[in-house]
Amino acid sequence: MKNLFNMSRFKIVFTVCVLLSLYSFVNAQAPAVTTVGITPPAPVTELTAVDTDNDHGHSITVKWTPSADDGAGANNVLGYRVMRSNSFEGPFNDTVGVVPLGSTNFENSSSIEEGAEGFIPDNTDFYYRVDALTGDSLVFSSSEVTGPVHSYGQWFNKGLIPVFFAVIIFTALTVLFVSAARKGKELYVRPLAGIEAVDDAIGRATEMGRPILYVFGLGVASDIATIASFTILSRVAKRVAEYQTNLIVPCYDPIIMTVAQDIVKTAYMDAGRPNDYKEDAVFFITQAQFAYVGAVNGIMIRELPATNIYMGKFYAESLMLAETGVVSGSIQIAGTDEIAQIPFFVVACDYTLIGEELFAASAYLGREPLLLGSLKAQDYAKAAVLVLALLGILAVNFSGDLGLTWLVNFKDWFKVID
Amino acid sequence: MRRQLPFFFVFLFGTFMVVQNFVPHEYSERAKEFLSDWTIIIGIFALALGIWSLIHVSLDKINKRKPNWEYSFVTLVGLVAMIFFGFTANVSGSWLTYFAALMVLLISLWLLVQGILGAGAGVTKAKEKFFAGIGLAAIFTFIALYDKSWAFHFYTSEGLENPLFKHFFSDIMVPLQATMFALLAFFISSASYRAFRARNLLATLLLIAALIVMLRFTPGPWGDLISKTSTWVMNVPNLAAQRAIVIGIGLGMVATALKVILGIERGYMGKG
Amino acid sequence: METVGIWCGAILTLAIFSFLYKDNPVYKACEAIFIGVSAGYYAIVYFFDSIYKKFWLGAVTADQPEEWLFGGAILGVLFLTRLFPKISWVARWPLAFIVGATAGLYMVNYFVTNAMNQVASTITDVIARGDAGDINWIQSFGTLVILVGVITGLMYFFFSKEHKGAFGGGAKVGIWFLMVTFGASFGYTVMSRMSLLIGRMDFLLGDWLGLIN
Repeated sequence: MKNLFNMSRFKIVFTVCVLLSLYSFVNAQAPAVTTVGITPPAPVTELTAVDTDNDHGHSITVKWTPSADDGAGANNVLGYRVMRSNSFEGPFNDTVGVVPLGSTNFENSSSIEEGAEGFIPDNTDFYYRVDALTGDSLVFSSSEVTGPVHSYGQWFNKGLIPVFFAVIIFTALTVLFVSAARKGKELYVRPLAGIEAVDDAIGRATEMGRPILYVFGLGVASDIATIASFTILSRVAKRVAEYQTNLIVPCYDPIIMTVAQDIVKTAYMDAGRPNDYKEDAVFFITQAQFAYVGAVNGIMIRELPATNIYMGKFYAESLMLAETGVVSGSIQIAGTDEIAQIPFFVVACDYTLIGEELFAASAYLGREPLLLGSLKAQDYAKAAVLVLALLGILAVNFSGDLGLTWLVNFKDWFKVID
Repeated sequence: MRRQLPFFFVFLFGTFMVVQNFVPHEYSERAKEFLSDWTIIIGIFALALGIWSLIHVSLDKINKRKPNWEYSFVTLVGLVAMIFFGFTANVSGSWLTYFAALMVLLISLWLLVQGILGAGAGVTKAKEKFFAGIGLAAIFTFIALYDKSWAFHFYTSEGLENPLFKHFFSDIMVPLQATMFALLAFFISSASYRAFRARNLLATLLLIAALIVMLRFTPGPWGDLISKTSTWVMNVPNLAAQRAIVIGIGLGMVATALKVILGIERGYMGKG
Repeated sequence: METVGIWCGAILTLAIFSFLYKDNPVYKACEAIFIGVSAGYYAIVYFFDSIYKKFWLGAVTADQPEEWLFGGAILGVLFLTRLFPKISWVARWPLAFIVGATAGLYMVNYFVTNAMNQVASTITDVIARGDAGDINWIQSFGTLVILVGVITGLMYFFFSKEHKGAFGGGAKVGIWFLMVTFGASFGYTVMSRMSLLIGRMDFLLGDWLGLIN
């Protein structure tokens, strides 16, 4: 009888222990807390975490299928909280992000600086969990844990594959046409009024005994428009040296000043007149926009140049320069890639090189076969752009009717994924 | 070799930066950051050359008594004064010795530079001026070392808080900049007066488009129609032409950059 | 001190406006002041931004110095060899670096933003439909005009073909579009330029003379 009682007591204790363990286990798996009125929502499912593609590392993308109660069912999900830990068992104390309802992914990323806030070291395993949140901060449901996952940088951005091929094709076209030009093939280019006027304008200045003013604008030496302007200056300076006309080149950027000095000096040396070169023909003024403009305006009013050539990057001062040039009675030839300033040059100057014509000018002025060949490549690239745009419009508008549904998203082929 | 090496550097750095665009890895990004920082640092050294050019041109004007040579004095005084203010800070509130030091500095720099430029530049008594400049520079150094009411700050940026530096910026530069910008109102009026003539079809198109957009805020019965037409002009034909220009500019820039990297375009590098 | 500043600003403002009448000694003096003060100002600002903040704090005195920045300083010093004619050819090396690096950097960027993104924006449904599936004729017309404008605009910029015949006709239509855009841009900026003048008038009549509130 005594043993039976002991056995019964043991069974009761054992059963209670089992029940308690089961209860704890269930709570550990889904630490949802119920308060009166709000029930925990369904947890998110199919949680995955992968290294973010096409990046410099230090980034992990977490994806999931939203909770069944997100916009449906109990409809009590307000958002999701992404938690991170260094181990599968946790603790998951690190909240790396909170996203609104309907979200299906989150990018946990940081900068590459080690001391930065929230820095994610590469090649370090992390584990993620996503909690479905409700209006009560104590009521939420946690997903399964996913991991281990570590971040690392990629060596090639696959999103830029279209760009990569486009650059290769453009380079090949350029090399092809340059080679053809080298072999002596005749390359036609249509006349450009602004370019043809340069020689006449230099001749005018020589006849009138007045200087030529060459303005680079407010660009810096690294601007492509300024580099194009350098090559134009080298042609202009060569003519100026041959005709023994005075040249004035006031500069906004000191690096441009040094390059321009070299160019003009070389032009005089090539023309066989090294002693005619004046060091102070090319000079620096200041790096303040309107102080520079004031000084150039002053030069125009006092030196009365016969020809003003504006080639490069210009901003609001374009109209001031051009209008002052009109007052001083100069012939004005302008070229810029700043779209907002082109109208002012068109209105106030005698000749304007619009956008791309500035970059073509060096080929026109020198008529060197290599440069003309590269101009041809530019034209073929433009033709390709036209054809692709037309094909794209046809594809988007008619591919559905022709059953070519894979072409409907043709335009996405040109979209660059960063 | 002397001439080819720079073009090799152009090719090397150009190709690296093109490839860098396609490589998102951290090492590539750090390299791009450093190379961008190098450009900024080189820029300040180039600015020293620019300032020297400004001083040189101004002094040349003064020495050769070229037209308007008197104003070059003003330019030089403004330049040196602003640099002096930017590198110094007054600590005691007493400005007497501060301005005395500035005057001594201005005169000593004037004499030193005249002396350095020498007889070849038409400077009379260049040697005497040089030594006089040295003497005044010594006096300035003495004042700088022993006068505690102000101090130089090259290693810290207290000079940027110098009230004279700030006042020169806010009371001289800002009004001048704003007024120069405001002159555009007059220039745009004179440009409009000259340009808006219906001489031919192209000028007429330009005139009509400009008028429609200029009058877009007009109130009254026609205001709504003009506003809607203006919006259509900006969003349709304007957008179309701008897109064509942008595509052309983009291809032109790419072609120029490629020519520079491949060494086809060499005009920017003189022979020295 | 504020009164001195306002008077200084007003005198300089009027001096600059005097240029509209003709060149005069007062304007010349202001121009000289502007050049000198601004050159000095930017010399100081760029010194503290690049030499002090970037180089001195980043490479010399930092706890973890970035030694790479010394490369920039070396190239900068090489740039100064321009002052000495015998070794001035060395100054082309930092220039080669700047030109090459930025050409490479911008080449791909501009290809993407100016070419590929523009093509992607041009490819669109020509026939625009409303929510109920009915054709929106005005929007469809607009899309067609944009398409024609882009094509003819690009035809204008062709350098390899003379503007004759049908191609010339297309280029002519292109220049019409260009003129419309130039006129629209011009008209768009007129009011903003006027507002700048209003701002200065406000300063002169309000802050200086106190005639308006």
